[in-house]
Amino acid sequence: MTMDAEKHRPVGWLAGALVGALFLLLPAILPAAESVSPEVQFCLSCHSNKTLELVLKSGEKRSLYVDVDSFARSVHGDKLRCTDCHGDISTFPHPTRSFKNLREFTLAYYESCKGCHFDNYTKSLDGVHYSILSKGDLRAPLCVDCHGAHDVARPGVPKSRISRTCSRCHQEVYRQYAGSVHGKVLLQDGNVDAPVCADCHRSHDIVDPRTASFRLRTPELCARCHTDEKLMKKYGLSTKVLQTYLRDFHGMTSSFHKSEQIPRSAVTAVCTDCHGVHDILAVKDPRSAVMKVNLVKVCRKCHPNATENFPAAWLSHYEPSPDKAPLVYYVKLFYQIFIPFVILGLLLQILLHVWRVVVNR
Amino acid sequence: MIRFSVRQRCEHLLIMVLFIMLALTGFPQKFYEMGWAQWLIPHLGGIDRVRWLHRLSGILFTLIALLHFGVVLSLAVMKRIELNMVPTKKDFRDAIITLRYYLGFSEEQARFERYDYRQKFEYWGLVLGGNLMIVTGFILYFPTFWTGFLPGEVIPAANVAHSSEGLLAFLVVIIWHIYNAHLNPDVFPFDASIFTGSISEERVEKEHPVEYARLIAKQKELPAEKEVGEKLTQKAKEGETTIKEEKAESSSRKDDSG
Repeated sequence: MTMDAEKHRPVGWLAGALVGALFLLLPAILPAAESVSPEVQFCLSCHSNKTLELVLKSGEKRSLYVDVDSFARSVHGDKLRCTDCHGDISTFPHPTRSFKNLREFTLAYYESCKGCHFDNYTKSLDGVHYSILSKGDLRAPLCVDCHGAHDVARPGVPKSRISRTCSRCHQEVYRQYAGSVHGKVLLQDGNVDAPVCADCHRSHDIVDPRTASFRLRTPELCARCHTDEKLMKKYGLSTKVLQTYLRDFHGMTSSFHKSEQIPRSAVTAVCTDCHGVHDILAVKDPRSAVMKVNLVKVCRKCHPNATENFPAAWLSHYEPSPDKAPLVYYVKLFYQIFIPFVILGLLLQILLHVWRVVVNR
Repeated sequence: MIRFSVRQRCEHLLIMVLFIMLALTGFPQKFYEMGWAQWLIPHLGGIDRVRWLHRLSGILFTLIALLHFGVVLSLAVMKRIELNMVPTKKDFRDAIITLRYYLGFSEEQARFERYDYRQKFEYWGLVLGGNLMIVTGFILYFPTFWTGFLPGEVIPAANVAHSSEGLLAFLVVIIWHIYNAHLNPDVFPFDASIFTGSISEERVEKEHPVEYARLIAKQKELPAEKEVGEKLTQKAKEGETTIKEEKAESSSRKDDSG
């Protein structure tokens, strides 16, 4: 993207003239908000005009109006001057710039943020959004697409705002999320214990969730909350879910696959393969994919020949006990007694033999 | 003297190699959380490769076991060998006599046949343990098939049994078989007869006096009638072979005591 090349093209003169006209009227205009700096007030003498706009080559119109109240309320309201971001427009009349379309206009200013927010900017370079942008897909969101421009507010206030932000592009995912156990309690009950998009996907360095490495990190992601004793106690949920998963065939396989840099012959189930992803439901919900009656359908996703008995091969995150999985429990108990019994018996006979040999000498 | 036939020696060797392979690829799976397992599995080519090796070794182990039972039973049916590994009342008496002797209650020592009670114990331990490993191993290998007619809980139960029985087998080999074949003061440092097939006459006389007496008696019959004598010798040899076979396995199968 070569935005610099566009500088100084003689387009937008009309807008410039308008600005000039308004400049003359400055003394007549009262600043709408006291908290903004004098420089901002100066710019607003023109930019508080709702009709001020720029017509782009594409025919699209870009409003140049800045709502001073919303800017004053924004996190930057008492901190930044206009030229902190619009560093190229420090003189009047403004240097002329030409943009083919609105997207190009946004792209031209998107790197302004990195001057202060360098860490988040750098993180975003590792994210999937930047990666599609760099491949030429200009629909990829930029800072301002999520955070806004003049009205930047704290992204997580309220927490549900984060998911609503993502929903502007990811509508279908949001619809599923809103119906899920996590989405419901957050969006309907305002319970901030529930995760929003960024809790699992992160915010700036969002990894492509379709990659194997992201898949294999799923147990770790879910476990951040689901092994938190205090948090899970509130909802009567077990914190043994990770441990019981990792001890079973799938969990052991996925944890090795995660650490190995070796091509895999097969995929193995992680949390979301059975419980669902954005549409995850409480395990007590009759519609839950892991409800006993539904479980065989889940198993069949990978084990097409699974019969009704098959799901019981998985102990549903329970430790074997006389109530849950008595067969497994008693086989285990048997060996816990039998192994020491046999080994001690053999050791005893060896010791007796050695002793007798010594005595004989 | 020849104690073990070529077949018995091969069986021992193969079972030994496979046992090591199975232990090497099985224990990192049982103890996968341990540091050494986390190191070993990637060094063996990853968990998928380790499982593949374990299953391959298990299949070969199963084939050898089937071959062993097939050959021994058919030879027995043809009366070419006697099943001298079968436990008898004498074995229990011998065990008691030996324990009394070890404890110093009596100076009487048990007089053993071709296989003493410890060797039989080890052989049958291997047979029973090995069969359990084969059955549970194949249950774990094909869970969808088995749950077609068995309850699902059989799978995790087979898992516990397989890994516990494997541990038991390993400990018995490490402790009992290694003691009897290497550390035992009577054979230290190495009882090589299962590899070479031969054993000294003195050892047979000392460790298996009943068998020794029987062999000597047969040899004495030889010169009497040449033809009959030759036949007898051959029979005796065949008999030995059998005996050896079972013995071989017993010692070979390192162990699982069941």
